[in-house]
Amino acid sequence: MYSPAVLGQVFINGISLSAIYILVSLGFTLLFGIMRVVNFAHGAMAMLGGYALYYIYGQFQVPYLIAAPLAALTVATGSLVFERLVYRWFYQKMFQSMIGLLGLDMAIVFTAVIIWDPHERSVPAPISAVYKVGPLFLSGNKLVIIAVAAATLAAFYLFTHFTRYGLAMRAAAQDVEIAEVQGVNTDRIYTLSFFIAIFMAALAGGFFAQTYVLSPFMGERPLMMAFIAVILGGMGSIPGVALGGLILGLSESFLGTYFGGTTSVFVTFGAVILLLVFRPWGLLGTPET
Amino acid sequence: MLDFKRTLLAFGALSLAAGPYVPAAHADEELKIGVIAALSGGGTAWGQGLLRGVEIAAEEVNANGGLTVDGTTYTLKVIPFDDQYNAAQAKTAAERLVHDEKVRFMFGPMGSPGALGAIPVTQPEKVLQFVEGYAPKILDNEWKDDSHVFRVGLSSGEFSDPVVEWVKESMPEVKKVGMIAPNDAVGQQAITALVERYKNQGFEVWTDFYERGAKEFTPILLRMVTENVDLFDLNSNAPGEAALLLKQAREVGYSGKVLQAGGAGVAEIVEAVGPAAEGFLKYDVVDLSDPKMQNFLDMYREKYTGLINGLAPEYYSAAQILFEGIRRADSLDTSKVRDEIEKMEGWETPFLGPVRWTGKEKYGVEHQIVIPFYIMKVVDGKGVVEAKIVPDLD
Repeated sequence: MYSPAVLGQVFINGISLSAIYILVSLGFTLLFGIMRVVNFAHGAMAMLGGYALYYIYGQFQVPYLIAAPLAALTVATGSLVFERLVYRWFYQKMFQSMIGLLGLDMAIVFTAVIIWDPHERSVPAPISAVYKVGPLFLSGNKLVIIAVAAATLAAFYLFTHFTRYGLAMRAAAQDVEIAEVQGVNTDRIYTLSFFIAIFMAALAGGFFAQTYVLSPFMGERPLMMAFIAVILGGMGSIPGVALGGLILGLSESFLGTYFGGTTSVFVTFGAVILLLVFRPWGLLGTPET
Repeated sequence: MLDFKRTLLAFGALSLAAGPYVPAAHADEELKIGVIAALSGGGTAWGQGLLRGVEIAAEEVNANGGLTVDGTTYTLKVIPFDDQYNAAQAKTAAERLVHDEKVRFMFGPMGSPGALGAIPVTQPEKVLQFVEGYAPKILDNEWKDDSHVFRVGLSSGEFSDPVVEWVKESMPEVKKVGMIAPNDAVGQQAITALVERYKNQGFEVWTDFYERGAKEFTPILLRMVTENVDLFDLNSNAPGEAALLLKQAREVGYSGKVLQAGGAGVAEIVEAVGPAAEGFLKYDVVDLSDPKMQNFLDMYREKYTGLINGLAPEYYSAAQILFEGIRRADSLDTSKVRDEIEKMEGWETPFLGPVRWTGKEKYGVEHQIVIPFYIMKVVDGKGVVEAKIVPDLD
């Protein structure tokens, strides 16, 4: 059980799990960090990303490297309607946003039920082969997801640290009023942040649908994992999301393999409860003043 | 909270989606037929199969002028509710159907959670109900002396022994069997029955459980791989979960045989798993390639798109049993119809063979159907019959 081969496989499985969790959580924490919006409709946006990829890649057979970002772009662009009609009313209103966006989530999910029916579908993987490297098995699909998650995280880091708009986003995340005083157009920053957040949710939704299953209800799981990763890392903290997602994925893989599924769930949620008791702002978050 | 909101809107969405049937010109009244089935989540393929089978049967009756009972002609109206493969939702659905819709005849729920949730609502009201599910308590319960529940599919109590015997005979190289199931009462119950059968036949058995709703199984599967199991039995996992278990088992390097002793529907799993499903063995309730099935398949494809689950022809047949029972009783009194159905031994169903009831000794009531079942094997992406087994339940 504790042979290097098994440990190596545990690590690889953990990294591929972490990649999905990080991708799903990035947009969620971005919306909270900048607009103080708890996006209960995040799972629904991920679900729309899954359907967009299903049509663009699965049905219209657009090459995958174009289809994946195009699907996310389509959802992000379409969701600007929601931004204008719904989200905008809840910026900087954390508690109201929870209820309002829960309603939006229900509306989107059950519209999807009417349009696509609740039947579960599969989105073909770009690489369905499984590679054997020494004693390790590597799923081609998961390698793609790990690569895209890493690239997205890196691109997002570069954007927020080395571009004018990225720096303005970080400034708004730290203190909206001070950022406005310094000349940052917060309306534009909100729209941009929203667009990026939904783009990432939709991208993650596509991967999730590809790895697991596509249905109108598929967003519940990503939403829950995003919550846990974000709480672990600290609400609103981008490095925190990366750390939270990594811990979540690796611990699930290690505990699930060595101690079983039930123990894994018990320990993971137990750790989150302890963290909320002793460090409610998360591992890399900052306490509310 | 999520469950509540889902239920609330599922009712709305389904009532919109179901739509009323167009009544035949000369039908006098409407007869409501309730359906409770999983129309969302991992059991969707089964739930849709059940609902569609009943809908096709009802539409066929309506197209022929309706169902005439004691001089009155009734148009059949199917009223579906989603139980999400969940006891609490099934109970709510049963209450809505029985108390609000005044339904007296019902199909489903399929699956033990839903069936055990709905029966305490339907049986005190003597609602005639055709269910699916493996729990013995579906039949062996406090209402068994005046039971209006018929189980129209085999439970694991009926098919486990023949399946395990078949494994013993056809796979002599298999020594150790692995099984993974949801960690709720239903999963544990289903796996317990199978484990006992495998052990009785001399197999070593390894088991583990997951949280219902989980989609990522690689940690548990890797654990299974290290146990060196020769056969991975997907037991009664819903098609959605079974497909993910099979796909992810191959992704972590499991190369042994995979069998599912339970549930219906090969095509859904093949669609979700792709080429990795090749060689997969699966219990199923009907053989869709049987020429007798052609008319039904045509009717199905005329109305619906997508894959056909085995529960569709099964419940089409179950609906025919109900309609024949009503015709014989010439009454809508559910006890009279029940009595007629009990006497239908030998009546030829469309796809389940002649009606045979058993269960008096095992469950205290002779309401368990006896039907043949199939072991299908995926060859070139399609399920082909590997074995047809008629359980000896006498």
